Amino acid sequence: MPFVKHNVHSPATEEGHREEALASPIAALCSLDAETRWSAARALGGRAKAVPALADALSKEQVPHVQEAIITALMRIGDEASVMVLLPYLRSQDASQRSAVIEALQALPGAVLPFMVSLLGDPDSDVRILATELTRSLPDDDSTRLLCELLQREQHSNVCAAAVDVLAEVGTREALPTLRSCAERFAGTPFLPFAVSVAIARISGTES
Amino acid sequence: MVQSDTISTRSRLRILVVDDSPLVRLYYRNILERAGFEVEQAINGIEAIEKVQTQAFDLVVVDVNMPKMDGFSFLRALRRSAPTVATLPALVITTESSEYDLDDARVAGANFYLIKPVSEVNLLRHAAILTGRQYERVA
Amino acid sequence: MAGLEDEGIGPTHLTQEEVRRVCEFLYRRTGMVFADSRRYYIDRRVAERIAVTQSGSFRSYFAILRSDANHEIEHLVNAFTVNETYFNREEHQLRCMTSDLLGNIVRVKDRTEAIRIWSIPCSTGEEPYSIAMWLMEHWSEVDSYNIEIVASDIDTRALQVGAEGIYSERALMRLSKDVIGRYFEALPGSRYQIHPGLIDSVQFTHANLIDSLDMARYRSFDIIFCRNVLIYFDDSSRRIAAENLYDCLRPGGYICLGHSESMSRISSLFRVCSFSEAIIYQRPEADHGAK
Repeated sequence: MPFVKHNVHSPATEEGHREEALASPIAALCSLDAETRWSAARALGGRAKAVPALADALSKEQVPHVQEAIITALMRIGDEASVMVLLPYLRSQDASQRSAVIEALQALPGAVLPFMVSLLGDPDSDVRILATELTRSLPDDDSTRLLCELLQREQHSNVCAAAVDVLAEVGTREALPTLRSCAERFAGTPFLPFAVSVAIARISGTES
Repeated sequence: MVQSDTISTRSRLRILVVDDSPLVRLYYRNILERAGFEVEQAINGIEAIEKVQTQAFDLVVVDVNMPKMDGFSFLRALRRSAPTVATLPALVITTESSEYDLDDARVAGANFYLIKPVSEVNLLRHAAILTGRQYERVA
Repeated sequence: MAGLEDEGIGPTHLTQEEVRRVCEFLYRRTGMVFADSRRYYIDRRVAERIAVTQSGSFRSYFAILRSDANHEIEHLVNAFTVNETYFNREEHQLRCMTSDLLGNIVRVKDRTEAIRIWSIPCSTGEEPYSIAMWLMEHWSEVDSYNIEIVASDIDTRALQVGAEGIYSERALMRLSKDVIGRYFEALPGSRYQIHPGLIDSVQFTHANLIDSLDMARYRSFDIIFCRNVLIYFDDSSRRIAAENLYDCLRPGGYICLGHSESMSRISSLFRVCSFSEAIIYQRPEADHGAK
């Protein structure tokens, strides 16, 4: 049979830069080689003291998969400091960076909770839209309350649409009056009245 | 194999709707199905790439903001695909307050773009136009 | 079923909207689609889960499902799928391996370099042995290369079963009599044991996909079969496992997921490769700079 077995350790083709990265990962975050920076970021996951170095690395990183690894490392630390590093990227001009950060934040509902009200009230409508995504992982009473508060004052139809989208999945009957008045406010616009009618159907169709 | 005719000879034209919001996808699906199109869905650019590579479509309607792979990244990957797939017409849907303008959309490989929220009339008008012709590279 | 209702265990029928909520959630989370024609089936399976979890109401159950408490997503999905393991379970991926993947792999390999294939999780071993037998039966160049097959799982009892190589007749249902004759020995009680030579060809190890240190022991694989596990991890674990697997692959190496799984729900690290038999994912080759 052509099958061979040997030690699980990989053959000697192992790249030297991985060892360099593991020996002093914080320094290796600044390496000119992307794979070294990747290994360094991976080695720092969960190390709270590395947050400033990871923040600095993220601000400079251009290579997408290395960005992902730095964001994952921050997610694994998951404390208030790392959330505060990630939040400004919700304003990034780069759509993929915004979505990478939102995914990491979605995995940290407890750490993100103190920031929810401020995010849902952010002057930037794109940030408010992304913030509605973060309410999905909260208990349904909390997300319903936060999203209804948003809907009651929100002028921007795309932000309302994002809130209605989440309510269709997690909303409780408490949301029904707010949803109805939202549809009235935006009557005659293309999408929102439809979205609200679906959300109302989803919520009403659920026995409480 | 997808035929590379300019006008599709399939009896029902197929449109792939790509958006991470189920309400938006449902909204587009209702409009397009009532108009006689067959509609398939995807929630982000990765699923969209998988579907365009395994099924024949006449148009893709794709939102810009999606997790894992945004609309522009999807378009770039689409235009790098095999020739029969790479010429798929693409209608990009963007949000008004984003920085993306018509030039950015065209550079990424869109044929047209629309701003959310999209009206039924606009969606159908652009679907009709775009299923009648193929993508041409903009100089 | 009238019985459940009488015992006051929970609702026995879902409303149409409740079914839609579940379907939309499952599609978003796993990519699985359930046609309207399967509506009754969904209704029944969810009602059963409501009873088993003693939720009392759809709302309480749906909260459990969304939070994935006690791996409820996996329990619900398992209620819809046939879960037997057997040899040659996803033949289309095995065919893709021999018709497409291996050709690409050997093109950039030295004859002296081994081709490294990893089955993780390997469960009770049907998958790694299937890979070995398939290569022997279907790959014309099987004797030209050294091939290393590693099989790993977090479940040590499953690993023991794999290392022993004894299976029921049912597990062999996809195999032809010829293949069974070549690689198995019949044992009393309708059981079959893999030939010692083949057992000896597969290296069974204990490994945890989420443990980066553990996974760091595995490098330079050409093909990884990682089926029906990633989709059930939580957000955080999925990211970590995907990065670990990326690191375990050679640049240009391939990773195969389960039939109804997609990287669209897991990670953006890998390139989508559409072959005639299957969609396989690839760690980008070195110097792949395009975004």
